[in-house]
Amino acid sequence: MNFNDWQEQQEITQFLHHEARLLDEHRWDEWQRLFTPDGLYWVPLVHGQTDHLNHASLFCEDALLRSMRARRLEQARAYSQQPPTRTVHVLGNISLESRSETGVVVRSTFLLLEWRKTEQRSFGGSVLHTLQREGRGFRIQMKRVDLINCDAAHEALQVFM
Amino acid sequence: MTTTTIDLQALVQPDRVHKRVYTDPAIFELEMDRVFGQAWLYVGHKSQVPNVGDYFTTRLGRESVVMVRHTDGEVNVLYNRCPHKGAKIVPDGSGSAGKFLRCLYHGWTFKCDGSLLSVPLRSGYEDTALDLKSPAYSVRKVARVASHRGFVFASLSEDGPELSEFLGGVATSLDNFCDRAPEGEVEVAGGVQRVIQRNNWKIFFENLHDTIHAVATHESSWRAAKEEYEAMPAGTPKPFEVVIVDGNGEPLEFWANLELKGYDHGHGFMEGIFVPPTDPVSLAYVASLEASQGAQRADEILRVNRHNTIVYPSCSPHTSFQQIRVIRPLSVDRTLVEIFSFRLKGAPEATFQRTLKYTNIVNSPSSNVMPDDLEAYNRVQEGLASDGGDWVSMHRAAGRDQPLPGGRASNGNSEMPARNMFRTWAAYMGVQAGGAE
Ligand code: FES
Ligand SMILES: [Fe+2]
Repeated sequence: MNFNDWQEQQEITQFLHHEARLLDEHRWDEWQRLFTPDGLYWVPLVHGQTDHLNHASLFCEDALLRSMRARRLEQARAYSQQPPTRTVHVLGNISLESRSETGVVVRSTFLLLEWRKTEQRSFGGSVLHTLQREGRGFRIQMKRVDLINCDAAHEALQVFM
Repeated sequence: MTTTTIDLQALVQPDRVHKRVYTDPAIFELEMDRVFGQAWLYVGHKSQVPNVGDYFTTRLGRESVVMVRHTDGEVNVLYNRCPHKGAKIVPDGSGSAGKFLRCLYHGWTFKCDGSLLSVPLRSGYEDTALDLKSPAYSVRKVARVASHRGFVFASLSEDGPELSEFLGGVATSLDNFCDRAPEGEVEVAGGVQRVIQRNNWKIFFENLHDTIHAVATHESSWRAAKEEYEAMPAGTPKPFEVVIVDGNGEPLEFWANLELKGYDHGHGFMEGIFVPPTDPVSLAYVASLEASQGAQRADEILRVNRHNTIVYPSCSPHTSFQQIRVIRPLSVDRTLVEIFSFRLKGAPEATFQRTLKYTNIVNSPSSNVMPDDLEAYNRVQEGLASDGGDWVSMHRAAGRDQPLPGGRASNGNSEMPARNMFRTWAAYMGVQAGGAE
């Protein structure tokens, strides 16, 4: 499925760029407000995972868990955030998976560079955003991040991807 | 390697150990021979290989091994090495090999107990010194394999105590793990998470029963959880997610009151830190256990409320939330921890979903709790490399242990578990056990 018009493509692209920027700038509150109340942030543990309830995940966070993580990252004694994790997202290949009355499903690919303490890590993969139309904008019902190395052994993953 | 010049005896005292035991690569190599080469090591659970030909690969110390189900139903543990030219026969991971193991390189095939079935060009070996009937041309089995309630252990050494004697007092944790299932059995499910830690493996084991670190190290997460709960409308039942995170913020007196048990061979367990929850998911689970076991037996089972158990030196079961963390040393300062979740057979699906929630929130690479542990371990590892001092203290409440059949008990904030593990470590390493308190 293709974007209908330049306007639609532009709105969605800018929404995704804005979301990535909120994460890179640690603007957690604004980021959380992008979600619908029942919105889910999900990073599967295995390739092609279809179930987040009966299978472990890398992240599987509803509003409560997202908020708890954001609060933790801001604590003065979050020792593992001394210094804080820095990230930069590069998004690409933004394409429309499906469109309905109420919203759209958008797929994009990303490269995420992460720096803390002594080492730069890189993550990459694709993201599936299930977006609900709200007025002239969107809210996230589901953000699914599929890392190409989801099933690798990882060191701690502290910030949202 | 300068192993011959290490005076191990000088490094271990009853209540303190020298930093080199955590930082010296030569000592790490010796541990692979003497600790991991002797102890019973956790391999996996039988439910990971339910059918003939199913396999699961793992590492025992330095050795790549494969756990595989044979036609006779037995679970074998074989070195993953072809007797021909040495190729790893089975790829890393898990799957099914069919009815026999076939090496990718020249097609030698073996039964799932390792015995040689056929080789191509058999005639080429006639009148050569290579005797295909010799056990040297079977896939080698690890020296000893035994299981307890479906949990498979292996020892790379012919000698040593039987598994039951080795487990001693912590067998009760594995029993309770299974007894909590209405059908009395558990199975591995829901995928395995893997975390890389930048620390010596012993630092992780010592932390498992280091109760008093929680309030300090985990301040960021227990405060976040408490704040989260305070922001909810008054009277809201405390969500499971909050309970399992804010528990780390209990004051030191709370931890002092939790009894710690230490057993021979380095094992031990810590009393449960969570009051059994009374949310609908928990109540439905209790009802399912009562329906199959009767109220009295169910009560007996659930009364055994434990936090981490240590099965030294390879794994840590969490019996009340059904997971096992398997600890695999990679090098002197790198450790891999693999987290397996288990389903209680016969329990409602929601019980398993709660297990996975605990896995995700507390143990996964993206845990909200563990990064601060990892940071502490890493700072210990880095600090020990410095010239700022030579000794690591394990003095807390030394000399105050209470004797126990096959072990000792202490109050919850004693460093007894660390001393207990080092006593065992020293014995494996062939030196006078530090810890003659
Ligand atoms: S190495 Fe396995 S058949 Fe040759
Ligand atoms: Fe901890």
